[in-house]
Amino acid sequence: MASVSITTATLTSSHPLAASELAHACGAEVEWVVQLVQVGIIESRTPAERPDDWRFHGGDLQSALEARRLERDFGIGLDAAALVLDLEHEVRRLKALLRAQGLGREI
Amino acid sequence: MDFKDYYKTLGLERGASEDEVRKAYRKLARKYHPDVSKEPDAEQRMRDVNEANDVLRDKEKRAAYDQLADHVARGGNPDGSFQPPPNWDEGFEFHRGPNQGPADHADFSEFFSSMFGAAERRGAERRNYRARGEDHHAAIEIALEDALNGAEREISLRSQEIDAQGRPEWKTRTLSVKIPPGVHPGQFIRLAGQGMPGHGGEAPGDLYLEVRIAPHKLYRVEDRDLYMTLPITPTEGALGAQVKVPTPGGGVVEVTVPRNARNGLKLRLKERGLPGKPPGHLYLLLEIALPPADTDAARAAYEQLAKAAPFDPRRHLGV
Repeated sequence: MASVSITTATLTSSHPLAASELAHACGAEVEWVVQLVQVGIIESRTPAERPDDWRFHGGDLQSALEARRLERDFGIGLDAAALVLDLEHEVRRLKALLRAQGLGREI
Repeated sequence: MDFKDYYKTLGLERGASEDEVRKAYRKLARKYHPDVSKEPDAEQRMRDVNEANDVLRDKEKRAAYDQLADHVARGGNPDGSFQPPPNWDEGFEFHRGPNQGPADHADFSEFFSSMFGAAERRGAERRNYRARGEDHHAAIEIALEDALNGAEREISLRSQEIDAQGRPEWKTRTLSVKIPPGVHPGQFIRLAGQGMPGHGGEAPGDLYLEVRIAPHKLYRVEDRDLYMTLPITPTEGALGAQVKVPTPGGGVVEVTVPRNARNGLKLRLKERGLPGKPPGHLYLLLEIALPPADTDAARAAYEQLAKAAPFDPRRHLGV
């Protein structure tokens, strides 16, 4: 069993993902990424008109994968998925806030 | 390898209709959704339910699976372990459903990967197209110290590859992964070329590792911020104090507890959280701990305090 050392990069501003790479990571097409941007589930971290010039970070990959799961699990459209994701993020933010106040143990 | 009873997972009978499968799945997917579920094993149950649904809602996979289930019902292997009969999937061709990507199967069981994962890939090869390999998804759990300072970690990945005879075989690869300092939960580390092999001579896919941080005995991680409970005595809380606090980097800092500090007060140590742009903060949550009244002197001191500082914390109750 050989051990291989390989190059790693964290998906941040210095190593962002292009729209085609984000699509590939989700097993989808670039058109689907364009739809995600249109409904506001993800946004390009560099202001650009053309999808070819868009760049995304790790948080966008996470949101895109979650949207993919919602589509699959419940057969919902991307507009509804955007709303569910917003609510999910709000629940997580509020739970984190409660934990930060030392109130979250019973949640 | 254990045989998985997908009907049982979804609470269904063998002859369930497509509509019944869909309804049972959606009900359970809501029940075990990690953001709403109160079940302790919600994450594992969600994975099982997803896997069962993936097979039972797909006509081809379900038909092949039913055939396998019959084989198991007829006795299977004498030692109780499960081995698929040769050419069990002959005549079936598996595809991933629409809206499904490589991440959707990342957490599925060895049973699923052996049965359907390899068959899906064989199907893709039979269709003889050229395409870059799929990206692979996995999670990596690291210690907080590794997230702070960066580290090099070895990870072992088991995956199925197709041998020269077209048979699936398990391969274990060990990769040495550099964890950059300042990674935080939910970030992804991308390993170029470490995903699934490409088809028709195309490049392999990439591997994405989602970063998780293991629970730490002192600190809790929220994004880039760290939280720690700091116990103080009533005296320190009332009069104010300088107390020593360990920082996640291994140092010690002296922190000023303000006078009349209440329980739950949050003190912020600026930029002492996870490094980054901007760096996170370290928050200390004050927790007032009572000295035990287990000696005559301590009891007398409490009584003296009650006399010197009369205080009714229940006044607002009005009784």
